[in-house]
Amino acid sequence: MRGRRWILPILLVAGFLGLWELAAHLGWLNPSLMSSPSRIADALWKTHVRRLPERSILLTHIGVSLQRVFLAGMIGTGSGVLIGILMGTSRVVYRLFDPIVTLLMPIPGIAQAPLFIVWLGFGDPTIITVGAIASFFPIAFNTAAGVRSVDGQLVRAARLMGVSPAGCLPRVYLPSAAGHIMAGVKLGWARCWRTVIAVEFVAAASWGLGYMIWDASEYIRSGVVFGGILLLMLVYFAMERVVLEGVERLTVRRWGMIQS
Amino acid sequence: MTTTPRLPEKTERRWLRAVAAVFWFLLPFLLVGAVWELTIRAGWVSSASLPAPSTILRKAWDLSVREGVLWEHLGRSFYRLSIGYALAMGSGLLFGSLLAMNRALREMFSPILSLLISVPTIAWVPVFLITMGLGDSTVIAAVFLGGFFAITYNTIRGIEMVEPSTIRAARTMGARGARLFVSVLLPASSVSVLTGLRLGIGYSWRALVGGEMLSAMVRWGIGKMIYQARFWNDVVAMFVGLLVIGLTGFLLDRLLIRQLERATIERWGMVSER
Repeated sequence: MRGRRWILPILLVAGFLGLWELAAHLGWLNPSLMSSPSRIADALWKTHVRRLPERSILLTHIGVSLQRVFLAGMIGTGSGVLIGILMGTSRVVYRLFDPIVTLLMPIPGIAQAPLFIVWLGFGDPTIITVGAIASFFPIAFNTAAGVRSVDGQLVRAARLMGVSPAGCLPRVYLPSAAGHIMAGVKLGWARCWRTVIAVEFVAAASWGLGYMIWDASEYIRSGVVFGGILLLMLVYFAMERVVLEGVERLTVRRWGMIQS
Repeated sequence: MTTTPRLPEKTERRWLRAVAAVFWFLLPFLLVGAVWELTIRAGWVSSASLPAPSTILRKAWDLSVREGVLWEHLGRSFYRLSIGYALAMGSGLLFGSLLAMNRALREMFSPILSLLISVPTIAWVPVFLITMGLGDSTVIAAVFLGGFFAITYNTIRGIEMVEPSTIRAARTMGARGARLFVSVLLPASSVSVLTGLRLGIGYSWRALVGGEMLSAMVRWGIGKMIYQARFWNDVVAMFVGLLVIGLTGFLLDRLLIRQLERATIERWGMVSER
């Protein structure tokens, strides 16, 4: 039953790729602009093997991007959860931070990039900073919402049973808000990934999937551009299915906060 | 808050509440601005890399009132946004309802849709640059894609989540096909559809800014303004641009989408009024 669900979509994609290949071969599409499935595969393979004895260019691009996403996401998650808890537990902090978060959240990372390029230069510092900012907002926002929605009865009950105000944080607030926090973390990392790729377009000096795609588009190597997009899909899919779901299974699902 | 009649004292209190809300909204910015201004005035941070708020505001005044360049940038941006978003809205609602109503179509397309959603909108821009050129159409295509997925996805979800008993009741009373869709499914799914429209305008706005930055032949646009400022290391203009982007994104959400929400789902009593 599970397998059958995939037959139709796979057929559809295969048919689409076949038509695309055919159209490119028959000259209906300009192959140097629209590429074709075989050219995409070829471009990716060549990027992979070109300097293979020392390193795979393709895998280095992917690795560098993932490393940036990881660092930026970690910084964003740490600071986001921290500020989110402060916003959730203190009314004053919430009122101070909420307008700022609301106004800064819609600013896309790529628009912040020029500013950070002036301050930090091209390369990792700028990319990681902007990525961290991007992941910070949804995580802080959701953590605050989660902590604020904790039932006051629970806190009072815990206090009555002798838990200190500080002890309520790990024992009451965090477990009750875990579902919300996890939702924020998911959004935050997805946003971090998108932002890192986008900022790599304008701020990367040499490596990264975003850089690879952008560089190829400037030289109209459409095979690499389309291949890069395919890789973005695959890497994101792997990240979401393996890493985030794994974390979720180990935390909130195990604690029974959300149904599996 | 609009339908029930209220006593005059309460109206007065509502005004007070509105004023208080504005005050609380502005307070953090005033505080941050004051500290920031002081830091620069005291010379702790060089004003070359971090301009003082007063400098930024003066520049904003120059660009908007004295020179008027800002309106030219914003005008071009809104032109692209409205075309791209209108396309996204039309096709997203259509495609979303088609997929939701037709099981075979949904099974065919929804895995592909979830794969495509995962690609950052901005990553399509290089593809459009190659295939559609370096001008307006690339930016509009990015705006379109940004909104399209969110609207499609939420339309599908909204229609799927309509209570089966509601549909059965409507069927029993003789509603079929287009009539069932227009008078039952669409209103019943409107909360989710509006969520899609709201997410969509946010994504479209961000895609617009990114698309403008990356398209070489685009000369006007709020994203381009920031990008051009980089060539002169004009940090002040960048701050003005970021401020305008944040403010416009916020206003688009509050004015456009909130009004739509008020006119539809809140009036129909589908969500509690805020």
